[in-house]
Amino acid sequence: MAEAVWSTDTGEAVYRSRDPVRNLRLRVHLQRITSSNFLHYQPAAQMGKDLIDLATFRPPQAASGHRPDEEEEEEVVIGWQEKLFSQFEVDLYQNESACQSPLDHQYRQEILKLENSGGRKNRRIFTYTDSDRYTDLEEYCQKITTSASEVPSFLAERMANVRRRRQDRRGVEGSKLKSRIVTWEPSEDFIKNNHAINTPLQTMYIMADLGPYGKLGYKVHEHVLCILKVDSNGVITVKPDFTGIKGPYRIETEGEKQEHTSAWKYTIDNVSSLAQPEEEEREQRVFKDLYGRHKEYLSSLVGTDFEMIAPGALRLFVNGEVVSAQGYEYDNLYVHFFVELPAANWSSPPFQQLSGVTQACATKSLGMDKVAYFSFPFTFEAFFLHEDESAESLPEWPVLYCKVLSLDFWQRYRVEGYGAVVLPATPGSHTLTVSTWRPMELGLVAELRRFFIGGSLELEDPSYVRIPGTFKGERLSRFGFRTETTGTVTFRLHCLQQSRAFMESNSLQKQMRSVLDRLEGFSQQSSTHNVLEAFRRARRRMQEARESLPQDLVSPTGTLT
Amino acid sequence: MAEVHVIGQIIGATGFSESSLFCKWGIHTGAAWKLLSGVREGQTQVDTPQIGDMAYWSHPIDLHFATKGLQGWPRLHLQVWSQDSFGRCQLAGYGFCHVPSSPGTHQLDCPTWRPLGSWREQLARAFVGGGPQLLHADTIYSGADRYRLHTAAGGTVHLGIGLLLRHFDRYGVEC
Repeated sequence: MAEAVWSTDTGEAVYRSRDPVRNLRLRVHLQRITSSNFLHYQPAAQMGKDLIDLATFRPPQAASGHRPDEEEEEEVVIGWQEKLFSQFEVDLYQNESACQSPLDHQYRQEILKLENSGGRKNRRIFTYTDSDRYTDLEEYCQKITTSASEVPSFLAERMANVRRRRQDRRGVEGSKLKSRIVTWEPSEDFIKNNHAINTPLQTMYIMADLGPYGKLGYKVHEHVLCILKVDSNGVITVKPDFTGIKGPYRIETEGEKQEHTSAWKYTIDNVSSLAQPEEEEREQRVFKDLYGRHKEYLSSLVGTDFEMIAPGALRLFVNGEVVSAQGYEYDNLYVHFFVELPAANWSSPPFQQLSGVTQACATKSLGMDKVAYFSFPFTFEAFFLHEDESAESLPEWPVLYCKVLSLDFWQRYRVEGYGAVVLPATPGSHTLTVSTWRPMELGLVAELRRFFIGGSLELEDPSYVRIPGTFKGERLSRFGFRTETTGTVTFRLHCLQQSRAFMESNSLQKQMRSVLDRLEGFSQQSSTHNVLEAFRRARRRMQEARESLPQDLVSPTGTLT
Repeated sequence: MAEVHVIGQIIGATGFSESSLFCKWGIHTGAAWKLLSGVREGQTQVDTPQIGDMAYWSHPIDLHFATKGLQGWPRLHLQVWSQDSFGRCQLAGYGFCHVPSSPGTHQLDCPTWRPLGSWREQLARAFVGGGPQLLHADTIYSGADRYRLHTAAGGTVHLGIGLLLRHFDRYGVEC
């Protein structure tokens, strides 16, 4: 029966609060358990028996000299970091020679003032705050096992230094740290002051002096009721948890004699006052104003507008790099590249150029290949105007042509390879590797000429790499044209696409992956336009009908006349 | 206005013939872009590889941009330098890469190059160090005058870039 009443779970609980921690209030109720108090937990059905027991036990207690009630029970409401002195501290600090630190002197002043004004209002319950020496020693010498001879190891000492609260941090240390990055011979004080974790904890102990009656003020009778830890992020750790509707916690003490053994029970409750609705509303309004003002400040730096394009157009914006060229025969390579826009429906701003030449780069060996590094940036944008509403006419996409050449000591150049690649149709980052070839003439004379004199066959029209500009017909045949395989060129392209149709498709919450599917948005836009035009035509027809109506009204009037 | 967050790091570099490398980096943007927070240029520590030829810097990049247009997308330019035992610094390579334009995490390998001088200058560089450098750093991130250069291939700088884009879909931009 006794076990069912107590709360045996003494684990810690973690709470989060955005309120300042100074609003925290706890009520601790401490009571000694005696045989007369046990009777309060008897079931109600046995009330008659209880009365008999009470009558039986009352005279012997009175005869034996019953202790006053204030020594048996105590209840205190404690605020965060509120210092309640124990009897030991009152006895200690009245002696001035025991004061060593400024905190001790401050405590002495408070205790003397308290004694003059009538003494402490708390008897057995007291607190150790974050500034007390007990809090430092407790974290350092905390035991984790039941071993009586547990000695903290070197790691435990170092971790205790790291996790210690930064009470002794000075401003001078902060400024000194910035000028000197590395301290080669740190002292012990330096380690203690600077090796601190980012989230320091504030700790508070709620203690109880469970000594026998008339013998308060001894260290051996002090017991921990509750440990509170709060960090700067608003995380509150309570060990043990608030009792709430659970049963009280129990502490048993042992004395020299059997009569001094006693049991205590205590409860911990959260009695922090809630904020008033007006205060909470005002606080939220202040936060909203603060965030809104910050957002307006950010918007004012740049402005709220963004560049837009004409309706029905698709803007293709490409940031690209010629990364490298590898696997070629000669050294000192450079790449000449250009972007070809299809003739139909594509345009680009007149100020920008769609071609470029990289620097000449001497290669280096990387594995089996020789690699030339360029890191050549190029940026261009192109616009596609979609006039044909037929969904079957897929747009042609721009093509990137490249030509790799080499330069030798006598400034002669040779064509190393031609290549072409269609720009990616999807936005995002793409790494393209273009395989190249060079035209080749049969016979040994051409190769000897290339080796000794330089120069080689070149394409008159670079678009011959894909579809020649002069090609008209249905079948492309390059039979008779002879080439030799050469190396590869690596491009890196970051593509962005912009269109008003994308805004409409986004607002319609449609998930379209490819731009070819996105182009359907143009048809939807055209459909909307058609509906509006049909509505306009219907309204015009209605107005014409309404204009002819008065004549019909006039005719019946004439008939009546 | 649309916003771009560039959060990443310069991981390290491989393939350089020199040891004891450090890297100067900078980000250049167009006129329509504004840097809201972060530092747009910096310099790593000097790292000497113990095993292998990869120098690790793990240098953080954390930038917040706001923009009114796509022109002038941020571009990252790098200068890799080496430091010898006497403390002299000489150029190991210039590198360039665009900041990616699609959201997500990107692993970029940025190849570097360095200018070559005449054969006398190359011979002097092999013995006493030095060598030609670019007069203006904008040649790294601009391709205008690149064709005048005669360069040699250097190593590769490895970067990890994470990109967050905000409000681009509001203006019909597909990233």
